[in-house]
Amino acid sequence: MSTGLMELDALGPRGTFRSRNRTVVTDVAGTPVAELGLVPKLFVSRAMTALHRAESLPAAERYAALARAARIFTGEVVAGLSFDAYEHTVSRVSGVPRSVVRAATAAIAEAAERAEYCARQPRPAGAVGDWRDPATRQGSAVWTRRGNVFAVHAAGNHPGPHSLWLEALALGYRVAVRPSRREPFTPHRLISALRLAGFGDDQVVLLPTDHDAADEILRGADLGLVYGGDDVVRKYAGSDVLPQGPGRSKILLTAGTDWRDHLDTIVDSVSHQGGVACINATTVLVEGDPAPLAAAMAKRLDGIPSLPPEDEKAVLAVQPVDSARAVERYLLAQAKGTVAHLGGDGVVEELPGGGAVLRPAVHELDRPDAPQAGVELPFPCVWVAPWTPADGIGPLRNSLVLTAFTDDEKLVDALLDEPTISNVHLGDHPTYWMRPGVPHDGYLGEFLMRTKTVIRD
Amino acid sequence: MPTAADSVLDLPFDAEPDPEEYLRAAMRWHFSPETGSPFWLERAGSLDFDPLTDIRTYQDLTRFPNFASQLRDVPAGDLIPRGYGDRPDVVGVYESGGTTGAPKRIVLLRDWLDRLIAWSSAQLDAHGVPRGVNWLVVAPSGPHMVGDVIKHQTAYRGGLAFTVDLDPRWVKKLIAEGKGAEAGAYAEHIVDQVAYVLRTQDIGVLMCTPPVLERLAHRDDLAKLIEQKVRAINWVGTQMDADTRYLYRTEVFPDAKLYSGYGSTMILGNASERPGLTDDEPCVYDPYSPYMTFSVIDPQTGRTVEYGERGQVVMHHVSKSLFIPNNLERDHATRCRPAPGRAQTGDSVADIAPVKEFDDETVIEGVY
Repeated sequence: MSTGLMELDALGPRGTFRSRNRTVVTDVAGTPVAELGLVPKLFVSRAMTALHRAESLPAAERYAALARAARIFTGEVVAGLSFDAYEHTVSRVSGVPRSVVRAATAAIAEAAERAEYCARQPRPAGAVGDWRDPATRQGSAVWTRRGNVFAVHAAGNHPGPHSLWLEALALGYRVAVRPSRREPFTPHRLISALRLAGFGDDQVVLLPTDHDAADEILRGADLGLVYGGDDVVRKYAGSDVLPQGPGRSKILLTAGTDWRDHLDTIVDSVSHQGGVACINATTVLVEGDPAPLAAAMAKRLDGIPSLPPEDEKAVLAVQPVDSARAVERYLLAQAKGTVAHLGGDGVVEELPGGGAVLRPAVHELDRPDAPQAGVELPFPCVWVAPWTPADGIGPLRNSLVLTAFTDDEKLVDALLDEPTISNVHLGDHPTYWMRPGVPHDGYLGEFLMRTKTVIRD
Repeated sequence: MPTAADSVLDLPFDAEPDPEEYLRAAMRWHFSPETGSPFWLERAGSLDFDPLTDIRTYQDLTRFPNFASQLRDVPAGDLIPRGYGDRPDVVGVYESGGTTGAPKRIVLLRDWLDRLIAWSSAQLDAHGVPRGVNWLVVAPSGPHMVGDVIKHQTAYRGGLAFTVDLDPRWVKKLIAEGKGAEAGAYAEHIVDQVAYVLRTQDIGVLMCTPPVLERLAHRDDLAKLIEQKVRAINWVGTQMDADTRYLYRTEVFPDAKLYSGYGSTMILGNASERPGLTDDEPCVYDPYSPYMTFSVIDPQTGRTVEYGERGQVVMHHVSKSLFIPNNLERDHATRCRPAPGRAQTGDSVADIAPVKEFDDETVIEGVY
């Protein structure tokens, strides 16, 4: 039975598994694009057992295979799709602008190419990577895995996060990825490329499932990674599953900083990546009157055109009309009592070819701890609020990234000391700045690895 | 035993009575003062039709209100037809699952049990399930019917029945209260008991639910024992998707016959998986007609859905021992044609599932 759609199947420990239970992946216009085969719980538990039984490649072979996979991922026809066709498809189904997809896939390829370097960065200075290192003759810490099998419940908002779990593979974990049903193309292509590059079918698997079988992937793994909101963070905090929660990234401008000098960075932090990422700024706090800044941001953001996501010039993300409308309703309800500089009457612009752009929204709050300041939505939606030193770092807490324009070293010390702020960018560095080798939310390696003392003759 | 029964009510299990002749004889039995049960005789007057003259076809059974919920409260003894006399051969009183409120009760009489087992045994033969082997039955004992019936069936086929008790109401309660870990611990407790039997006894047929089977398959030592000993696996209780069935048949237990039944207390037995289905066909169940009959309706309109369409299952049980017409089950199913060449009253059903719950709720806040 052929439907003419692309077929995405589970990549199990014995190869591709074509399941009878299939779900249709549609693009932002609602047009079917692919059929994704969903595997049952029994398949999942057997796959996880197979990962436990398997052996990892030696480290040098892993790094080499990861580098080869990067070239296959970006250069070859994989599962019938050229790289160009793959990027186009991701753009159409996730609604993420084409240029953002391109940057994300480049980041994935770079993470794979530089896997050895990236995997090594989290290693404590006191530890060596192998017990054979001469340092252990005098006694040394050796960096070792906390388990062997790592599971990922992937998100579909953006291809970028798929660069993260490559670190686990580089460190010698066998990895199971449950793709998002919204955008399964990236992990399918990446795992296909990893297999072509030399990883065994029982070393990295793709397990698309419905909700019933999803937990089985985490249950069957030693350690896991999940994406979600506050509820997911609460559920998994402190467990062997590492939650990746809301970003709620922020920008702070203290007195003595003229926002006019940094408007590009501020606006880009909101709209770069189409505003769909956790590293997009959700809140801008400014010492002084927020109104002129909000107005200037609104003016800049208002000039961005509404285009289909696959358009080379697209900047804004696109969603199916129904979900875009739902986001809009939610925004309008949340924004009551604030001053709208942009998007106060709605943010949805339907595209002639189907789907709807979520256009930017800029709202001014009257205080930094207003409840809206924590409302993170998957499009360029920013809350601009006044801040004074008397407010302290309270309103700055719970930030994946905080870009601070300030000369106050004491304040910077406090930001670094604050456990709920993950990254601090000082000065003219947008919230979305990331490079291989620096941590995104702590190094994944901190979670995956531990040290052991080895002393030998 | 005084009987005014038509002989058509007492045919051999594999005779195929004319369904309408059979139905009318059953109406005479259940609604005649000498032979009918107190339950039906009391209710006959409240009907706006006369069962003796107005119920001529199985379609006419839908004129009965759904009395099944009254089985939660009535004295069980009132269900026994008077025609069985003062000392009816009662096998037991059994209860429905009890997930939708208080349980419903029925009385199982010997003549129906004998008929059911003979039929059910023939179904097992058709599936190649061996006779003369021991069964390990991981299923509820009382108040549910299945455990006792399978014990009798095993004896009938010449084997010993080993049992591990399972309390489905407790499991459902735990799950409803979000106590997933406790439900899991209970399941492991069951698996541990299964292990003792599997290790020490010669088990030819394993009967269990799909979740228990998954746990057994997950334990290497037990999976190996099943591979070595078990020649047929009879799964019941909940459904198994086609991919899972395929995996069991091809990878996990390729040497064992996989067979299933779709049972309900309200039909006093189970429908049987159609023999010879391919991996890609839905799991179709054929009822023991005309004693048990199914139809599949649109719950909004009450009309029968087309073949291949999904709807809610309506069941009728019409035997000498009990009459439960027009019972609307919670389950939804795909309406299927009877097996080719088979004279069956009513529908066959496939892909049984509780009312489908959708999980496409739109998550709004956040970027994931």
